[in-house]
Amino acid sequence: MEMEKISSSLEDYLEAIAEIIEENGHAHTKDIADKLHVKMPSVTSALQTLAAKGLIRYQSHSPVVLTAAGSERAAVIRLRHAAFSNFFREVLKLSPEEANDTACKVEHLVCEKVMSRFVSLTDAILQRSDCAELRKYLEQTMPQICPEPTEDLISLDCLEVGQSGIVVRVSNTLRGIKKFADLGLVAGTLIQMEGHAPFGDLLRIRVMGSSLSMRAKDASHIWLRLTE
Amino acid sequence: MTKQKFRVALAGNPNCGKTTIFNALTGAHQHVGNYSGVTVERKSGICHFDSMEVEIIDLPGIYSLSSSSPEEKVAFNELLTQDIDLILNIIDAGNPQRNLYLTTQLVELGIPMLLVFNMADDAHRRGLKFNLPILERYFGAPIVRTVGAHGRGLEHMKSEMARLLRAEYPQYPARLRYGEVLDGLIAQVEEMIAKLDLSALSGAPVRYFAIKLLEGDAYISSLPVFAPVIEPVAALRAKLAIRLGVDAETILPDARYGMISGACREAIRITNERRQQLSDNIDRVMTNRYLGLPIFLLIMFAIFALTFFCAEPFVGMLESLFGWLAETISAFWPEGRLEFLRALITDGIIGGVGGVLGFLPNILFLFLGIAFLEGTGYMARAAYVMDGFMHIFGLHGKSFIPMLLGFGCTVPAVLATRSIESEKDRLTTIMVLPLMSCSARLPIYSLLIPAFFPQKFQALIMWIIYVLGVVLALIGARIMKSTLFKGSDEVYLMELPPYRLPTFRSLLIHMWERSLCYLRKAGTLILLASVILFVINTLPQKTAFSKNYAEELRTLESSSRIPEADRKERILRLESEKKMESLEYSVAGRIGRGLEVVMKPIGFDWRICSALIGAFAAKELFVSQLSILFSMSGAEDDATPLQSVLRENYTPLQAFCMMVYCLVSMPCVGTVAVVKRETNSWKLTLLQLIGLTLTAYLLCLAIFQIGTLLQIGTSLL
Repeated sequence: MEMEKISSSLEDYLEAIAEIIEENGHAHTKDIADKLHVKMPSVTSALQTLAAKGLIRYQSHSPVVLTAAGSERAAVIRLRHAAFSNFFREVLKLSPEEANDTACKVEHLVCEKVMSRFVSLTDAILQRSDCAELRKYLEQTMPQICPEPTEDLISLDCLEVGQSGIVVRVSNTLRGIKKFADLGLVAGTLIQMEGHAPFGDLLRIRVMGSSLSMRAKDASHIWLRLTE
Repeated sequence: MTKQKFRVALAGNPNCGKTTIFNALTGAHQHVGNYSGVTVERKSGICHFDSMEVEIIDLPGIYSLSSSSPEEKVAFNELLTQDIDLILNIIDAGNPQRNLYLTTQLVELGIPMLLVFNMADDAHRRGLKFNLPILERYFGAPIVRTVGAHGRGLEHMKSEMARLLRAEYPQYPARLRYGEVLDGLIAQVEEMIAKLDLSALSGAPVRYFAIKLLEGDAYISSLPVFAPVIEPVAALRAKLAIRLGVDAETILPDARYGMISGACREAIRITNERRQQLSDNIDRVMTNRYLGLPIFLLIMFAIFALTFFCAEPFVGMLESLFGWLAETISAFWPEGRLEFLRALITDGIIGGVGGVLGFLPNILFLFLGIAFLEGTGYMARAAYVMDGFMHIFGLHGKSFIPMLLGFGCTVPAVLATRSIESEKDRLTTIMVLPLMSCSARLPIYSLLIPAFFPQKFQALIMWIIYVLGVVLALIGARIMKSTLFKGSDEVYLMELPPYRLPTFRSLLIHMWERSLCYLRKAGTLILLASVILFVINTLPQKTAFSKNYAEELRTLESSSRIPEADRKERILRLESEKKMESLEYSVAGRIGRGLEVVMKPIGFDWRICSALIGAFAAKELFVSQLSILFSMSGAEDDATPLQSVLRENYTPLQAFCMMVYCLVSMPCVGTVAVVKRETNSWKLTLLQLIGLTLTAYLLCLAIFQIGTLLQIGTSLL
């Protein structure tokens, strides 16, 4: 059976409705809005679209009910989500929350055929006895690979005079990145801001016991974690 | 018979004291710089010890051994192709992490190494304690400690060198581990290239090429031998970059610094974290947001004063020496014999040599000043302080120093551009330098301005001329940066080395070396051009004059009726008239006449044109040439009668055009010669010459035509 294509946000609605019904027995518009962190009017318009496609039954002021087609569709989406989430958790060793969030983002993109092959791969990695070595390898290496999230990083040009930080990431948009790396501006290096030039955008920093001057616009590509 | 001749390469970061060690080893006279890239040329010297002959090659100071900058390329090439027996890796012991980064790359060359922890006293003061045996094992190379500036530890270093050179089995450096993943990949690439025929390459180990290919080194990757493996290696690199979450370019730097920090954790202890307080404190003032600029200008003024005021008495002495020499020769010359030859020797050759040497005092003092700025480490700060302003016009922070010197004399200013390491910035600066109104143009202004402009406008006109030059220079730089020297700016990343006090000896050595260089290269060209200019100013000699000057002179001298003073003046006037006739008859005069057709639209007659030809030899000759052409007896210092004659012949507008033309148009012979030497290109030199002359012409054309149209300055103010 060829399913009619619906947008990924509608898929999210369907998934949420199914989950809410499973938890509470019935799904109200308010619950849906809360779960997806969206406004009520958006929910209403999405529900109308889903109703028009025959996936739900929807009347205002009464709980939303999934049609047979809707239930089937929701089940498929939830299976996909579980498969991806499982992969991220068990193979890539992400935390449950990260695995869940990432699964939400990618679950809409893949077609049925790819999906079923992907599930077999995950199963093979996690269960087959000849993959034992691989599992051990994953157990060891995956947790070590963790580029830090950018959110609480500060770019070098924003460092106050006297503040220090450790380089976490050098964005690959930095021009002449090799030259910077050669002079020690690589992840793990401690940097202290020493000052700014009288005018223009030059700044000077202390790296490994010597002072370097560079342009602020280049420095903005270097991300640091502040240290005391 | 064992080998007695060896080659040793000196490698190290900039400012690590490499040149001091080189001087100590070879006794060669070479500069000890404190500023990135002083040694760009190849320097080598022979050193004898322990009955061995060792050629020491001083590589330029580099941070990394790839081929991304000219210095790195030189070092890279030298190490790869020169059959080096031993690498002497000089390391600033006060900054081991950065310095050992180069070491990790040198190790891969598979050439025996000796690590020299230089400035060990400095490291000690900073509280760094080394566990040398651990580091020795790690790199597979012995380590010696030295203090190059005081000559400490050098004997031990030499004996270690001798031991390593004489060793029956060379001690190859250790194989470094880059971590599990990277080591696996390196092995994979090694396998790939082991199948290729590497016989055309030098003896560097296969592993070295594997690492360089993984690093994506531009030069190694471009070798045709490796063409078949480039794609698979690039694929490996890309995969690895995603895997490590870093840019493909920085995979190896990351790994190397990781390796070093691992090694340093074990082998280096910091007992008290006391940095170089003094240097930091000095910098707090020198590069202060508010004080930095005034201090910079003050230092610039000091350099300017040193170059021009301190050198003044020496220039005067040289001038009188050459004047005396010419007079003495004339005095002993047999009267009336080979007059032309005498003039050629006294005016042409001695004048020319005088022209070359006349710059020498300025240049010696300039180079002394620059050596001091570089030696102390202030040069890098100067760039740091000025860059914001100069960058607007597409110039480098360091362009400011030559431009300021340009107000004194263009020749030393062009020589001063050497401290700008970015080639494009350096050439742009050289191209616009003649627009900074040099002191030789001052006599022209001080002749014309008082002659044509009323007192209250004189300062303003002078100011306009100077500012016009600066504005044109900045505009010119901007234009050239967006046309001729187009392309994105070079990445600005410069080390500000700690302040050090250079020894007086090293300053003198540096000053003398560079000055000699100027004399050898630019001097010959200036001399040649001066002689040629002399010839076209005197030949062909006029034999038939309009009146019989000799006769008239004789009558004047013998006549007793005219009073003494009057007679003297008439004699002088007669002599000048004769000179003028000769000049008009000479090649220069004829060219002047020919040029008149072209120069008419900008208000110049043949006399000004001929004077301009004279000005090509030296700008101040414009004045003396004019005085000859107007048959004025007055010497340069006594120009008042000339001024009144000029006032009768020209308008203020024409005078203004003359000044603008002298400011902008072709630079003097000395400048042309030194520009040729510093750009190493006749094309750029001629482009500058023609470009400036054309600009001057068009500018004067606009000024003269608009001025004539609007009746500005067409009559005396």
